[in-house]
Amino acid sequence: MAFVQNVPFFSIMLSMFSGIVSSILPGKWARRLNTFMIIVVAALSAWLFAFMATSDIGSYTYAMGHFPAPIGNELRAGVLEAGTALFFCIIMLLSLWGGREKQILEITERQQNLYYILCNLLLSSLLALIYTNDLFTAYVFIEINTIAAGGLIMVRQNGHCIEATIRYMIMSLLGSGLLLMGICMLYDLTGHLLMSNIKEQVDIIMAAGTYRIPMLITIGIMTVGLAIKSALFPFHSWVPDAYGYSTVSSGAILSSLVSKGYIFLLIKIFYRVIGFDTIAGSHILNILFIFGLCGMIFGSVSAIGENDIRRMIAFSSVAQIGYIYMGLGLGTEMGVIAAVFHLLSHGATKSLLFVSAVGLTDASGGSRHFTDLTGAAFRNKTAGVGFLVGSFSMVGIPVFAGFVSKLLFAEAAVLLPNWKMFPTLIVLAVSTVLNAIYFLKTVIRIYTPVKPEVLAEKGFECKHFKQQVLFGVTIVLFIIVNLILGMKSQPIIELIEQGLHNFM
Amino acid sequence: MMLILSIIVPILWGLLILLIRDFKSRNALLAVTGAGLAVAAVLGVAVILSGDAELFLFSFGKNLSLYFHVDNMGRIFAAIVILVWLIAGFYAFEYMKHEKEEKRFFGFYVMVFGILHGLTFAGNMVTYYLFYELMTLLSVPLILHNRSKEAIMGGLKYLFYSLFGAYMVLFGIFFLNKYAVTMDFIPGGTLDMSAVLGHEGLMLAVSFAMIIGFSVKAGMFPLHAWLPTAHPVAPAPASAVMSGIIVKMGVLGVIRVVYYIIGADFLRGTWVQTVWLILTLVTVFMGSMLAYREKVFKKRLAYSTVSQASYILFGLALLQPSGLTGSLLHVVFHAVIKSCLFLSAGAIIYKTGKTNVDDLRGIGKEMPVTIWCYTIAGAALVGIPPLSGFISKWHLATGALESGLGVFSWLGPVVLLVSALLTAGYLLPISIKGFLPGADYNYSEITKKEPKLIMVVPLLILAVLTVLLGIFPGKLTEYISALIGSVL
Amino acid sequence: MSHYWILAAILLPIVGGVLLYILPFKNKKYMHSYVELIVIITSVITGLVLFKGERGLLEVVHFVNNLSISFKIDGMTVVFAGLIAILWPLATLYAFEYMEHDEREKSFFMFYTMTYGVTLGIAFASDILTMYLFYELLTLVTVPLVMHTLTREAIHAVRKYLYFSLGGAAFALMAMIFIIIYGDSCEFILGGVMHTAAEGEHAPLLLWIYLLSFMGFGVKSAVWPTSSWLPQAGVAPTPVTALLHAVAVVNAGAFAIIRLTYYSFGTDFLAGTWVQYACMAIAIFTIVYGCSRAVKESHIKRRLAWSTVGNLSYIIFGATLMTPLGLAGALSHFVIHGFMKITSFFCAGAFMHVTGKSYVYEMDGVGRKMKCIYACFTVSALGLMGVPGFAGFISKWNLTEAAVESGNGLAIAGIAALLVSAILTAIYMLGVVHRAYFPKNEAVTIENAKDPGWKMCVPIALCAAMTVILGLFASPMVEFFEKIAFGIY
Repeated sequence: MAFVQNVPFFSIMLSMFSGIVSSILPGKWARRLNTFMIIVVAALSAWLFAFMATSDIGSYTYAMGHFPAPIGNELRAGVLEAGTALFFCIIMLLSLWGGREKQILEITERQQNLYYILCNLLLSSLLALIYTNDLFTAYVFIEINTIAAGGLIMVRQNGHCIEATIRYMIMSLLGSGLLLMGICMLYDLTGHLLMSNIKEQVDIIMAAGTYRIPMLITIGIMTVGLAIKSALFPFHSWVPDAYGYSTVSSGAILSSLVSKGYIFLLIKIFYRVIGFDTIAGSHILNILFIFGLCGMIFGSVSAIGENDIRRMIAFSSVAQIGYIYMGLGLGTEMGVIAAVFHLLSHGATKSLLFVSAVGLTDASGGSRHFTDLTGAAFRNKTAGVGFLVGSFSMVGIPVFAGFVSKLLFAEAAVLLPNWKMFPTLIVLAVSTVLNAIYFLKTVIRIYTPVKPEVLAEKGFECKHFKQQVLFGVTIVLFIIVNLILGMKSQPIIELIEQGLHNFM
Repeated sequence: MMLILSIIVPILWGLLILLIRDFKSRNALLAVTGAGLAVAAVLGVAVILSGDAELFLFSFGKNLSLYFHVDNMGRIFAAIVILVWLIAGFYAFEYMKHEKEEKRFFGFYVMVFGILHGLTFAGNMVTYYLFYELMTLLSVPLILHNRSKEAIMGGLKYLFYSLFGAYMVLFGIFFLNKYAVTMDFIPGGTLDMSAVLGHEGLMLAVSFAMIIGFSVKAGMFPLHAWLPTAHPVAPAPASAVMSGIIVKMGVLGVIRVVYYIIGADFLRGTWVQTVWLILTLVTVFMGSMLAYREKVFKKRLAYSTVSQASYILFGLALLQPSGLTGSLLHVVFHAVIKSCLFLSAGAIIYKTGKTNVDDLRGIGKEMPVTIWCYTIAGAALVGIPPLSGFISKWHLATGALESGLGVFSWLGPVVLLVSALLTAGYLLPISIKGFLPGADYNYSEITKKEPKLIMVVPLLILAVLTVLLGIFPGKLTEYISALIGSVL
Repeated sequence: MSHYWILAAILLPIVGGVLLYILPFKNKKYMHSYVELIVIITSVITGLVLFKGERGLLEVVHFVNNLSISFKIDGMTVVFAGLIAILWPLATLYAFEYMEHDEREKSFFMFYTMTYGVTLGIAFASDILTMYLFYELLTLVTVPLVMHTLTREAIHAVRKYLYFSLGGAAFALMAMIFIIIYGDSCEFILGGVMHTAAEGEHAPLLLWIYLLSFMGFGVKSAVWPTSSWLPQAGVAPTPVTALLHAVAVVNAGAFAIIRLTYYSFGTDFLAGTWVQYACMAIAIFTIVYGCSRAVKESHIKRRLAWSTVGNLSYIIFGATLMTPLGLAGALSHFVIHGFMKITSFFCAGAFMHVTGKSYVYEMDGVGRKMKCIYACFTVSALGLMGVPGFAGFISKWNLTEAAVESGNGLAIAGIAALLVSAILTAIYMLGVVHRAYFPKNEAVTIENAKDPGWKMCVPIALCAAMTVILGLFASPMVEFFEKIAFGIY
């Protein structure tokens, strides 16, 4: 076993311990430690990723501690896991950078280190969700994740945020509860908690044809649980407040990473626990598919009606989660590949949008209403460009990431042997139009010049690049990530495909 | 060479008149115009006399070429064009005095002369169509000349009706491009029968569209409405040439299509012929009726043109030698007669300003020469022997009787006869009341209002021609018969 | 000439446009010379590369599987790129005078120049993905131009334009996916690229998809029922309406439909199916619809825009005949309509620029004062009507010749529609000419009307001259189009 294969363990532990260490550090140092830790974890993940992509071992399991499975705990890593971990680190780092200025303003000095503790915990739980090979471990980290995420929302202490946190916690715990029930039932059925072992048993049970209905219910409960947690329509009521009112880094991290972590876990359960053929044979996928489609339309329609830029982006997330579930619901490998790719592209794009939206609102006297945002892109050019790129990606303009995922979804749909093709294509097209309506409406709004008199009257200020170097750099990096996903998609898609194969 | 000059020279000459910013005096304008008309006429006559010339000018696309060919049919039309255009032109020298912007009128007048040469000498359908469109576009300014509201509306109505007709023709041309061997005018038709085979229905529809299309210019029901609107508002010389010449270009178009492209044999006995005959007879009767009821003098004459032009079309629709002879004779006679009538009406308007027939009592006492000319022409149009109209109507009636078309062979002559009576009823009362205003007329107020010589002479020439052509129709009839021999 | 020059032609105006925004110009004159220089150099490069350039594929970026951004030169490219290469310098020249009083001239010219590059991208695109990319970019890059005036009307117009266009593109995207999957490649190859097996098995599906994508690309060329954006977009400055909304953008839509029909799905597959009739019926209806709306409209630019709607469907009608002759006819109207309509828009713009009025009923008698402008307008009117001797007749002739030749029943209705539209064209165009030259006696003529400066008059006169020249000497061009359509070029 090569040394590099220890990386999963190291990265989880590193982030967890830095959380603990942060608790005794002052805010500034906690921030520095956090940045350092994320960079290190990213570097480690990149190392592992490079190793996995070049070596031919495909994937490996990593025994935690001395005891082998089924008693001991296991991690598992493959190219997809390593890549996702790397991606999550990058996005998290960029989101924190982009929102740093705002976050310093919005969070009291005393709670600064608290914020970074939560961030560190969140990262560690996300990494654990990615790497774990054990359902119960997954459950534990889901709970950690939930709590950390709730804290991230609440850390900005105003009425909206507290209300949002409560809503989030209720919905999230409902989801966790369902998942826990599912895990229990699965344990009852199979007698295992380790994914690979459960898989063997499930295959036997399915082959024998017994326990059909309990199995179906189990799958259903677990799926619904994770769907609630990742804000699939119609379980999205907590989304706009939670993403819209929390401090910007939290919003970006929640929408780009937290919900994606759950989805990643769900995919993993599909492949590694239940077996994709079993899932595809059940009707669970059809339900996901239909809710996905509804979400795509509903999220966009709500976003169109929204007058607050942050809440609009939040509603757009609902629609994008709909895309992912729609892709999973197609029930083909192409569909899952598209969903995973969209997971990446949406993660990169949505955080960019959140971060740049904040730049725009800051240049408009902190107002988030469209009337005040007129011409904001001229007052904060970097944020304007960022929002433009994000919007283009969302709308699906070629060379940006969003286009590739749309292409993959459509390709997957076309190759379907069943009735889902036409609904998918039509809804894809319609939702593109709807996306265009609200994103480009905003783009036009922010690029409509305003007379200087009006500006002076409202007291809006211009922000130059020099005044916000970190913010600017973040936006540029976000754009680069987006372009890489959009233009160099071929190797990424191949790696996703390879990773999914390794799951089996 | 002469041919192309006869077309180009008047067009450029007219353009020159339009472009010259200021003529020193009215006389200078008249001199230039007169010279233009004269040169154009001389060139035209030269072409007519110089034998069957052919000229392939150039091609602006596959199957699209400008090609001229002088044949006997063209010669007849060219001759009346030159005659009427010159006479009405000189008449206009005086008449246009009371209109403004004469320069524009004369400019377009000379240009259209060139276009008409192009039409009469056109050797294929595309060339004909090209000049036909140009004629429409360039003759509009003649109609809306005085720019009153009615004149503009009349001009536009004329324009859009004509264009509508032209596009019907174009519709046909598109198909002929495939189903005809060539679009050159060849007596007897050029349909490619092997291509048409199986598409006869389509081809008949196409022929019908083209006939209707050209008939718009000739005022055939149901697309006759532009004539009574456009004529009263146009200056008299313009009305005269409209009725005398431009309407005939529609007729020439029909002849070219029916006898030179599609071929009479193809249409004989089909529904196209039947419908066409019905439409012409309806128009003949309806035109006369409307003219009879009309009180505005020039409008009455316009309705008369509607009716008379359909005499010609009726003759053509018979698809039979006698009928065709009658038609061609009527083309010539009607051109002369109707110009004469309109010019007389113009003279009356010019001198007295009266436009309503009821106001014209005693006019004969005031303008005897004019009204005499009017009377002679009117009588000729009615068809009183030995005046010219009689000859053509005789041929038309014989043609109908000989055609063997069942009901049409007797219905046609009957309608023609009734219409002739109506013609007498709407034309002659003006003369009668003009010369014999009745006992209660105040004779003391009569003043001599005869217009100047330059207006009277054209009237006289036309009136004399009406008589002469009636008394000595032999040469013309022979010429026409010879020509028809090759067509039918 | 190496085919890397294609990239130069596409990128030069785009980069040049961006630089225009960045570079500080001392005065307007320098800026104008800079813009004109960029445009002319691009045109020259385009011209050279079209006629001297190496043939073959130029792959720039490779995406997924057989998806790439790549360019090539074929017959269609020559037609489209050639057309805009001629018109762009002229329109730019015109724009200098038209925009002289504008405050935000700089941003206008930036996007105006960039649009050139993007349009060239569409023309040079060798496969459907590249075309799609530039097609979307075209939508986006023209948005600032349409909303340049920033009035409420302009913003509304731009939103409509944007939503319609992107929505259309979304449907076109569907077709693209199907071509990627059921085609042998995404490249444009005359005759189509579909698998024969796929055609057989999935024929009903593919036909539906063709219809969807036809409607999708049809948005840009304003096919009914998505035609209303075009007249609304008439609020843009005239150089935009003239060049983009009469030629570049709308022709891009027609271009895409032709590519899709002849080069991707293939006419063998589509001809004779219900979808051909459906598309043709839509085109025929749009012809009549557009012209009728033009008759009703009294705002001069909107009237011309509705006329464009009708005329573009001539092109589409030609394309839906699905015969080589139909393609040749479509291409001839593609080029000829460009020249004619840009002339009439230029003239309308000159009228608006000089007098500040914009309605037809305000034009009484201006023809006598703005002699050059209205002479050219008359030429374009006659051209659009299809009077022989003017270019419009040639394209109408080619279209109908193809329609008759195709022996398609519906095509005969199409011919009738062409003629109905011709008479309607006569009404709405000659109505204007009439008013300008022969006003009613009591009408008041605008006092200050006079011909604008040379920067406007020269482009107008050149375009009008082209209308006449193409009308008289069209044979070489039409033969060239036939060569393209039969795949000889």
